[in-house]
Amino acid sequence: MRGSASGLSLALAGLALVTLPWWSGDLYQLHLVSLIGAYWVLVAGLNLVVGFAGQLSIGHVGLLAVGAYGFAVLAGTLGLDPLLVLPLCGALGGAAGLLLGLPSLRLPGFYFAMATMAFALIVTELSLAWGGLTGGGTGLSVPGFPAPFHTPWGQYWLILAIGAAVTAMTWGIARRMWGRALIAVRDSEVAAASVGINVFRVKLTVFVFSGVTAGLGGALFAALQTYITPDTFVFEIGLFFFVCIIIGGRGSILGPLIGTAVLTALPELVAPLAKLGTFFYGLTLLIVVLLVPEGIGRLVEVLAARLRAEPHRSHEVRPDLARLRRALTSQAGASPPVGEPPPVGETRPPEAPALAREALP
Amino acid sequence: MSAASLPAALPEAGGLAAESVAKRFGGVTALDAVSLDLRPGEIHGLIGPNGSGKTTLLNLLSGYYRPDAGEVRLDGEALSRRSVQRRPRLGIARTFQKPRLLGHLTVLDNAMLGAWRDVRAGFLATALGLPSVLREETDLRERAADLVHGVGLGHAIHRRANLLEHAEQRFLEIARALALRPRFLLLDEPAGGLTGAEIAHLADIVRTIRDGGIGVLLVEHHTDFVFRVCGRVTTLDRGRLIKHGTPDEVRTDAEVVRVYLGA
Repeated sequence: MRGSASGLSLALAGLALVTLPWWSGDLYQLHLVSLIGAYWVLVAGLNLVVGFAGQLSIGHVGLLAVGAYGFAVLAGTLGLDPLLVLPLCGALGGAAGLLLGLPSLRLPGFYFAMATMAFALIVTELSLAWGGLTGGGTGLSVPGFPAPFHTPWGQYWLILAIGAAVTAMTWGIARRMWGRALIAVRDSEVAAASVGINVFRVKLTVFVFSGVTAGLGGALFAALQTYITPDTFVFEIGLFFFVCIIIGGRGSILGPLIGTAVLTALPELVAPLAKLGTFFYGLTLLIVVLLVPEGIGRLVEVLAARLRAEPHRSHEVRPDLARLRRALTSQAGASPPVGEPPPVGETRPPEAPALAREALP
Repeated sequence: MSAASLPAALPEAGGLAAESVAKRFGGVTALDAVSLDLRPGEIHGLIGPNGSGKTTLLNLLSGYYRPDAGEVRLDGEALSRRSVQRRPRLGIARTFQKPRLLGHLTVLDNAMLGAWRDVRAGFLATALGLPSVLREETDLRERAADLVHGVGLGHAIHRRANLLEHAEQRFLEIARALALRPRFLLLDEPAGGLTGAEIAHLADIVRTIRDGGIGVLLVEHHTDFVFRVCGRVTTLDRGRLIKHGTPDEVRTDAEVVRVYLGA
């Protein structure tokens, strides 16, 4: 797939982040980059859902809140070791993702988006209602991590390590068979079904993964904030995550990373933009959607393609029958017995009606 | 109508068969008690005027529709309850009248997608890039590359699919379907919009597929092409089977000539 240029940029970005302590002594900047990192842990997983599988979730702030409150309660109220609580928050987020995804991922796009929005609103209301657990409107204070992650720098390294691991995982998914399957689900459910992709199961798998990263991101976010209330998780944050991905570009990993960094940092660093608030996000979204619908991640690629003269392309089809024959016979040898039992753990409910949406030939 | 007499009892095993299937859409009967069997290693033509139910029958065989009456069987086993995503795993592959490719992916990626049913790597193993996953990925890529070259798209293997011309898209759909390692391949008007030279290539490819032991169903308007490559031909008219037999029997049948081929 799309090549080494993205890999090189990622490597450079990684180098810059690892060496940050040596060229910036500013704690505020450090906090900002840590915040971007915590957001990115969530956005990286969400990117597989939105940018690759094409499922428009706008309510991931609800899953962020689940992870954040989970961390505050388990590590703060119950006093468990924060480093142990961190994976628990991932599991909690994954479980919440499963709970949300099971009923909603069968819905067509618009209704799915509404279901995720409803989920985010419900989580906020629950965090108010369960005052005994969440502190209600007053909120909860959140403990930090133990040494060596107790300093701002230590926390930064922890977030960086988790962010890098999550990025590597989404990268691994995107460029292999699972990535192709996700894009098939996004671009043509008919084509996906024709090669035997269980569309619902693929969607659910990637959605649960995004729940895990949202839970992790929520825990890191809470530790950074040191104090959380229901107001910390306003619905606009869910939209913000979504916009980061759209601006970054669908089907890209570097793009949404840039999107998250720019949209988080710009309003903080440029005071006039902060006053604009949500308006700034809206304006950026409008500009990108109108001018570079492929997203800023693809901007360089798109510009380069426009500048480069289109080479003469052959379109002549010349079958290589010997090679075709060889491919067919070698395949027959590898063929499993007819009527093989389905892989373990696969129970497929009848799903034909889901396909009726896409017109058949 | 004497021609409506159905073919003799279908073989119980070793084929994909529609048995007296019927399909209605609202008040319209698209198919009425039609039977057809497809055997391994044959090319079976399905012809008829527009709206005669050819594509409906293909959609029943590939599971996109469920029959209102009758049954679809694979090796004698009833399939109608199996969901559409199940059919490819049973070895039934298809192409579409209007090619359904993923325009943002390359030709090779599109062909590889066809091998999804052979993917054993789980989500987590893939995310972690375990060695077994990488090996599987390499194997599938090599196989898909052979098929892409085999159907004649070697020149475009790394091109994005939305830059392909019409004929290339049709051949890529065949490569993708073959990547499934199908036992039966259902082609929906593969010659539509192709030039004479391209149809000749298509005929070579379809024969090669047949020689590989795959049963090919050819839904097609291009009757010269059908009579040239098919071993058996079934003719539909207004949802009913009017003639089934060898190309010569069908070509000379009075009813087929009257409703379809013309005098």
